[in-house]
Amino acid sequence: MKARRRVVTASGAAVPAKRRPTVRRIKPAIVPVTRRDGPTGGQLTGHAAGATSVRATGPAEGPSPAAAPIHEVDLGVDLGRGLVLRNPVLVASGTFGYGIEYGDVVDVQRLGAICCKGTTLRARSGNPTPRVTETPGGMLNSIGLQNPGVDAVVEKYASTWAGWQVPVIVNVAGESIADYVEVVRRLEGVPGIAGIELNISCPNVGKGGLQFAIDAEAAGAVTAAVRRATDLPLLVKLSPNVADVRPIARAIEDAGADALTAINTLSGIAVGPTRERPLLGNVFGGLSGPAIKPVALKVVYEVAQTVDIPIVGIGGVTELADVLDFLAVGAVAVQVGTAIFADPTLPVRLIDELGAECRRRGLDSHRALIGTALPKRATATSARGAEYRP
Amino acid sequence: MRLAGAELVESREILPGQWLQTYRAPDIIAGARAGQFVHVRAGDYSGLVLRRPFSINTMDLATGTLTIHFRVIGRGTAWFTFLRPGDRIEMLGPLGRPFEVDPRSRHLLLIAGGLGMAGVRSLTDEAIRGGRQVTLLFGAATARDVYPSSLLPDEVEYVVATDDGSMGHHGFVTELVPEYEGWADQAFACGPLPMLRALARLAATRRDRLGVATLGRKRGGGRPAVAGSAAARRKAFLQVSMEQNMGCAVGACLGCVVKAAAGPPVRVCREGPVFAAEELDWAGGW
Ligand SMILES: Cc1cc2nc3c(=O)[nH]c(=O)nc-3n(C[C@H](O)[C@H](O)[C@H](O)COP(=O)(O)O)c2cc1C
Ligand code: FES
Repeated sequence: MKARRRVVTASGAAVPAKRRPTVRRIKPAIVPVTRRDGPTGGQLTGHAAGATSVRATGPAEGPSPAAAPIHEVDLGVDLGRGLVLRNPVLVASGTFGYGIEYGDVVDVQRLGAICCKGTTLRARSGNPTPRVTETPGGMLNSIGLQNPGVDAVVEKYASTWAGWQVPVIVNVAGESIADYVEVVRRLEGVPGIAGIELNISCPNVGKGGLQFAIDAEAAGAVTAAVRRATDLPLLVKLSPNVADVRPIARAIEDAGADALTAINTLSGIAVGPTRERPLLGNVFGGLSGPAIKPVALKVVYEVAQTVDIPIVGIGGVTELADVLDFLAVGAVAVQVGTAIFADPTLPVRLIDELGAECRRRGLDSHRALIGTALPKRATATSARGAEYRP
Repeated sequence: MRLAGAELVESREILPGQWLQTYRAPDIIAGARAGQFVHVRAGDYSGLVLRRPFSINTMDLATGTLTIHFRVIGRGTAWFTFLRPGDRIEMLGPLGRPFEVDPRSRHLLLIAGGLGMAGVRSLTDEAIRGGRQVTLLFGAATARDVYPSSLLPDEVEYVVATDDGSMGHHGFVTELVPEYEGWADQAFACGPLPMLRALARLAATRRDRLGVATLGRKRGGGRPAVAGSAAARRKAFLQVSMEQNMGCAVGACLGCVVKAAAGPPVRVCREGPVFAAEELDWAGGW
């Protein structure tokens, strides 16, 4: 049984935690925010509640009537344990390499965070080819976690990452709890590594190849073991290939994860052109792209009503409307994956568009957009009652 | 690598189902070399989530144009044929590593199978500009699919093979190679995997069969070139341009790999598409 998290009010009375994902501000307000809210324009408004600019530059100055009357929007997101992002648009693991591949084409420093390619204890050469193919509204991939192993990743990239202002979250995969723990140990304390995202959609050798992600007990156990091994912010990535994601999400939360990311790809196959065999070398692949967005929204919608920790929505984000949809069902941030292949500049543009959307609506931050489509509840959320009924 | 707009200048079907399109894309071809490719975004994003990679077939710095040559094989490639002159699309490029011709090579043997012509076509221009002699061996299923000689520079010696004997040599293009490999200083190929595999086998046994030295043995001072480096390709007798399904085309997704002779699988989009034949594992299987 899970002990419900409680918060204590100023009066000292304990109340049930609000079912609202955490979005904390990133810094104390250092720059006064001006807003055009009267004929005087550019008037300094107090905004004690949310005056931090995510892109505030230059020294704090007094009010000036000449200052730009555009009010700054706080897009900051706190994923827990000090992992504070400047904005809620991340790039998804496996679609953005180690952050360097797109070179000058993408201004990576502007991203909310980078989730790097899945990293394992030892080098892996991955699956047979073909590894990717386009499908209606999406694509299938079966990369098979090709990566040089955690030590090589640290050696090759960590010093570069350490010089970046964008946080890099290392996506970690393994075949046993011991694998995960060892990878995380080797990442612990390395400058340039801002957090861990556990990819638990991997076969658990100790359990006959059953994926960690589809078994609440195994998902909880691997999360707990990694939690004990590291103080790094810990995100755990949910798989949609399950009958009911809620007990799994709950087990991961109880085991001490700081945030959840959802979703990983959906399992699928494509058939080769001659119809003599499945197209992908590995037969099975993971479906991603716009085709999976409704599934991802459903998972976030359900999980947001089940856990208190923040949720990062992933799946088919290709435009601002998708970001707003994920926020509405309770995500505090999103990751962009497949859409980067068609439009590498999309994530950065989404940040600007989200800021503009908040301004247009007169909002100080995107916080007010989070969870608006969730059922309104007077009491703490029950896990019941949100099932799909045809 | 740049992301830039490209305007369609001309589009025509040169062979049944095969198109040649000219785009004005000066930002993309600036600094581009033979063997590199572009990754092009198709329009209807709701249905087509991936870009399409195309070899830079030819480029003309004076007009800032490049051409691509492709066969319509699906909705994505079909989409490009619906474009009209003046329409604008977006390209990412130039991508990948180019062919490397040894400065001492006078005689270049190019071998193309079918659409593989697009992979080596740009090298004919570059080689002829460099004053080299080029023989291009081309294989197709039948005469109907033979790349028109009018689209090649006059200086190129063009030799055709067809599977059904309807034009030129009756048989595989690889059967023509022994006739030319003694003449050639270096060879460059693009086409179906079985063709490339046969060529790689020929190249590997070339020294024993012909008693010729590998290029660059003296000049390298005995120091072996770093695997995957431009120098390694420049010293190789046979360079191949590989094809693979792609996601990102910049090295980020590891979707496009081929097996290497040593070490982890290599990315066609980044370490390739041009490889020295001996850098790859031709055994097949995984
Ligand atoms: C080519 C490719 C490789 C991926 N590799 C990983 C990986 O290594 N680890 C992981 O957790 N997710 C991986 N994913 C899943 C994505 O991070 C993301 O969860 C999924 O693609 C859904 O988002 P999208 O629809 O925006 O692409 C990969 C996805 C793609 C397309
Ligand atoms: S296509 Fe993504 S690594 Fe080559």
